[in-house]
Amino acid sequence: MAFFMKHETDHEPIKERIVSAANMPKDVMLGASVLTILGNFEVCIENYRGILEYTDTLIRVQTKGKQIRLSGKQLQIEYYTNDEMKITGKISSLEFCG
Amino acid sequence: MIQKMIRLFGGYVKVRVEGYSAERFLNLCSYRQIDVWGLVSRQNSYEMYMTLKGFRRIRPIVRKTHTKVLLIKRYGLPFFLHQNRYRAAFAAGALLCTALLFFYSGYIWDIHFEGNEKWTEETLLEFLETKNITPGMPKKNIDCTQIVKDIRQQYDDIIWVSASIDGSRLRIQIKENEDTFLQGNPKETENQPLTDAAETVSAAGTDLVASANGVITSMITRIGTPLVHVGDTVEEGQILVTGRVEILNDAKEVTGYQYEQADADIYADTQMEYEDTISRSYLKKIYDPKRTRDLVYLKVPFGKKTFGKILFGSERHSYKKWETYTSEQQVKLGENFYLPVFYGKIHIRSYTEKKALYTKKEVQEILSLHFQHFSEDLKEKGIQISGNDVKIHVDENLAAAKGTLYLNQQITRAADTEILEIERNEINESIGTDD
Repeated sequence: MAFFMKHETDHEPIKERIVSAANMPKDVMLGASVLTILGNFEVCIENYRGILEYTDTLIRVQTKGKQIRLSGKQLQIEYYTNDEMKITGKISSLEFCG
Repeated sequence: MIQKMIRLFGGYVKVRVEGYSAERFLNLCSYRQIDVWGLVSRQNSYEMYMTLKGFRRIRPIVRKTHTKVLLIKRYGLPFFLHQNRYRAAFAAGALLCTALLFFYSGYIWDIHFEGNEKWTEETLLEFLETKNITPGMPKKNIDCTQIVKDIRQQYDDIIWVSASIDGSRLRIQIKENEDTFLQGNPKETENQPLTDAAETVSAAGTDLVASANGVITSMITRIGTPLVHVGDTVEEGQILVTGRVEILNDAKEVTGYQYEQADADIYADTQMEYEDTISRSYLKKIYDPKRTRDLVYLKVPFGKKTFGKILFGSERHSYKKWETYTSEQQVKLGENFYLPVFYGKIHIRSYTEKKALYTKKEVQEILSLHFQHFSEDLKEKGIQISGNDVKIHVDENLAAAKGTLYLNQQITRAADTEILEIERNEINESIGTDD
């Protein structure tokens, strides 16, 4: 049981540990999304799966594992390509959920 | 910027996507690498831009996501070409215009002179024409160094020349020898070749004779025998300095003559009658400000012919008497690119004639102005005016300025020396017998 427990808890960190030990970029290896926030008016999101919802006050973006909720006013998607999107507008909050 | 140009070149569209899962539509677009930008959320729909190439590939996505795509606006070159597909002639015209502009820019349209004072542009242009350099000739045929050489060869008093091609204009910069005309007296330059020519011909001598009656005030003789003195009164035609120099033997007898080109500066006080009469009555032109006509025209010289067109206004009129003023300008692009197109304005104004009389004051003004011009002309010729008693008389119909001008001027005029043959022959004979 103890062995099993240890195996369970060590399973995720092992991958992370290898990646950080090998000095490999985490966004590439783990598929983590990269968010670049410029002031409160511009957000650049890389490594995402897709848009779940888009209105001018709320944008939900699906990434690997987590969901990004971006709320604000007059939100607009400047461009939207397979690996990057840029959102402009007055951003009030950004949160990860579920 | 570059991206925008690439998009315009390839063409792009603005579309509105409506439907249940418009987000899925977006995700599929990005999955299929269809460029989407400027995404705006509207009520229950999205508006976005996408490339024309991408737009042609969205049909399966639309079907899959059950959305409705509405094309709002088209941008870019493909649409522009499609819209103007029946305007091929316009495109051809634009192309032709560019081609003609290119073609014509290979020619010289203007020759511009700088720094010339003594030699007028007309004279220089005429000279260049003899060397086959004219406006309208191809640029490639122009040899600037040859032009410089030709001008230097032809005109001695042009001491520096530079020729350069400036756009469609041939620019010739000139520096004249200012010393030659600072002397002011045109006689000097005229005399120069005379004496030169005489030296080569030799033999026949020249005298200096008086060109007017007068009293000599100063006299400097360089060559020849002076026959008069300062203070003498001379008459027109009288020999002042003779070019015949006597050759004397030991007994002071004349044995022969040597003939020279007499040269002297002789100034004398002379008098000149001045008379200027004008009629007091004249025809006054009364212009009618309402009866005028303005025309604008365009002129294109083509070889020896000229094509003209009146753009605005009409040349026809019913005026009995009229004056025409024309001002013409050459069309140019920028500063130096002269085009073979002229435009101009013609102003025609009608007038009626009416007999009128000059008032006493007017007539006096006119006569004094004439006299002033006359005096200036004399001064330019190097004649000094020491005094005058010109008076203006005004009659009923005529007005006259009459009087005598007291002048001081050079009074020499060249004339052939009389050759005394007989004595020469005698000498020759005697020499002959001696031999």
